[in-house]
Amino acid sequence: MQAEIGLRPNLVRRWASGVPAHPWLTVAPVLALVALFTLFPFIYAAVTSTRQVILTLPDQTPFVGLKNYLDVLQDMSARQAAVNAVVFSVVAVTAVTLLGLSVALLLNQPIRGFGILRALVLLPWAIPLVSAGIIWRLLLHGDFGAFNGLLLQLGIVHSYIPWLSSRQLALGAVIVAHVWREFPLPAILFLAGLQVIPPDVVDAATVDGAGAWQRFRYVILPLLKAPMLIVLVYETMIAVTVFDLVYVLTGGGPGSATTLFSWYAYAATFHFLNLGQGAALSFVMAAVLLLFIAIYLRVLRVGRDDT
Amino acid sequence: MKRKLKLSRVLLVAAAILLGLVIALPFLWVVSASLQTETGIFRRPPSWLPDPVTIDNYGYVFTGKIPEAYAARGLLRSTVTQEAQYLPIGLQNSLMIATSVVVINLLFGTLAAYTFARERFRGQAAAFSFILTSRLLPGMAVAIPTYMIIRQMGLLDSKTALVLIYSAFTLPFTIWVLTLYFRSLPRDYEEAAQVDGCTRFQALRHIVLPLAAPGLAAVGAFSFLFSYDEFLFALLTTSSLNSKTVPVMIATISVNPDASYTLIAVGIVLSIIAPIILAIIFRRFITSGLVSSLGRA
Repeated sequence: MQAEIGLRPNLVRRWASGVPAHPWLTVAPVLALVALFTLFPFIYAAVTSTRQVILTLPDQTPFVGLKNYLDVLQDMSARQAAVNAVVFSVVAVTAVTLLGLSVALLLNQPIRGFGILRALVLLPWAIPLVSAGIIWRLLLHGDFGAFNGLLLQLGIVHSYIPWLSSRQLALGAVIVAHVWREFPLPAILFLAGLQVIPPDVVDAATVDGAGAWQRFRYVILPLLKAPMLIVLVYETMIAVTVFDLVYVLTGGGPGSATTLFSWYAYAATFHFLNLGQGAALSFVMAAVLLLFIAIYLRVLRVGRDDT
Repeated sequence: MKRKLKLSRVLLVAAAILLGLVIALPFLWVVSASLQTETGIFRRPPSWLPDPVTIDNYGYVFTGKIPEAYAARGLLRSTVTQEAQYLPIGLQNSLMIATSVVVINLLFGTLAAYTFARERFRGQAAAFSFILTSRLLPGMAVAIPTYMIIRQMGLLDSKTALVLIYSAFTLPFTIWVLTLYFRSLPRDYEEAAQVDGCTRFQALRHIVLPLAAPGLAAVGAFSFLFSYDEFLFALLTTSSLNSKTVPVMIATISVNPDASYTLIAVGIVLSIIAPIILAIIFRRFITSGLVSSLGRA
C-alpha cells in the first residue's frame, strides 16, 4: 500500500476511481491549523520560559536557563498558590467524583419522571463557565445573595455572611461553585457505566445474600473502574487549570485566599507582564498535571490486578 | 419487604427532588433577579418572586431606555449600564463565531476523520497521535504565544482569530470521535455504492454521513458549546465590539464594582439561553458522544 505513494500512473488511476489522490490532502490542513496553535506556541513558550522576558523591558530578553523555574520553587507566593491549588484540587475532585457517582446511582433507578432529571443534569455543564461563576457570585453575595437569604429564612444564620470576601470561606465558596458546575460530566459517565452492567450480575449477588452496600462495594464499584479513571483524570485536569471561575468569583482574593496556581500564572503573565515567569509557571502546571495522570493510571491498574 | 421497598422509593424521590432543586434553583433565581428592580433585589429577607415584576432591565439592554427605578432612587450607574447595552452585539459575535467553528469542524473534521478511518498512509499513526495528544495541553501554557501569532497575522480583535483558535482546539476532539464512529460502520455499503458507480466522495456523502448523523450531531454540539463558552482566549484577543464575545462582556460587567446587579442577572440570562436550548435538543447526542469518546480515551 505504502509503495503506491509517489507512483504517478497509479495516483492518477486512484484519483479516477474516486479514491482521494493523496490522503494527506484532507489531513494536512487540519494538522497545520492544530500545529499552529498548539505545537508552535508550546515550543515558543518553552523557549520563553528559559529567558527573562518582561514586557516593560522589551529590548532585554537574556537567556537565564532554569532561573524562572528556580524562582517558582523559591517564591513564597507561588508556594502559597501551589498549596491552595492542591487543597482546591483534592477537595474539588473528590467532591465532584462522589457527587457524580451518587447522582448516577440515583438516576439509574427505574422511576418515572427521572427522564426530566437526566435532561436537567446537563445544564450546569452546558452554560459558559463564566456565567456559572457569576450566578454563584450573585448567589453568595454578602449584601443580597439568595444563599444568605435562604439560610436567614431557615434560621441557620442571623446575619448575611460575605462568603466570597472572607479569608476563611472564599476558597470553600469557589469549590462549591466549581462542584455545581462540574458534577454533570461524571454523573453522565458513571450512569453510562452503570447501564452496561448486566442485571444478572447484581441479581446473583443479591441471591448470594449481599446487602445493598456489599453489592455496591464488591460488584458495582469494581465494574466502574473505567469511568472512574476517566473522571479522575479529566476532573484533575479541569481542577488544576481552573481559571474562569476565579476570574469572575474572587479575582484570587481576598488577599491570596483563592489564588490558585493557574490564577497565579495568569497574574504573573498579564498583571505583572513577566512572560518568562508566566511560561515557567504554566510548564510546572503542565508537568504536575502529567504526573497526576500517571499516578491515577498506576493506582487504578494496581487496583484492577487485585480484584 | 414491601413496606421497605416503598420507603426506599420515597427516599429516592426525595433525593431526586433535592437534586432537581440544587440544579434548577440557581437558574430560576437569576431569572427572578433579572426581573427585579434594583431596590427590590436588596430586600431582606429576599423576595423570591420579583415584586414588582419589571422588564425594564431587558428593555434597557435592547432599547437603551433607562429603567425608571434607577432614576427615582438616584442609583443611575452610567458606566456599566452602558456596557450592558452591547450585549446583543456580543451575542451576535458569539453565535457567529460558534456557528463558523461548527461548520469548519463538520467540513474539515469529517474529511480528515474519514481519511483516518478508511485509508492507510505513511505517517498516519504519527499524525493521529499528534492530534490526540494536542488535547492535553493546558490553554494557559500557550496563551501568550497564541496572542503573538494572532498579532503577527494582523487578526487581533477579529472574529476570524477566535474562529481559527477554537477550530484548532475542537478539531482534534471532532476527528477523534468521528474516526471511531466511521470505523464502527461496516464498509459493505460504501463498497456496494462504489461498485454501482458512486465516487468515493459520493459514497461518503450519501452513505456514510447519514449513518454517522448522531456522531456529527455530537461533535457539532461540542464544538458549538466549546466556542460559545470559551473565555481566556476571547479575553486576550478581543478588545472592541468588533469581536467581543458574551463571556468576555458579562465577565467585564460582573467584576465592575459599580455594576447594577439586576443588569448582571440580565446578562447571565441572555448568555445561557443558547447553550441551554442546544443542550436540551442535543442531549442524547451529547451524552452518547461524551461516553463513546471519553470512554474509549
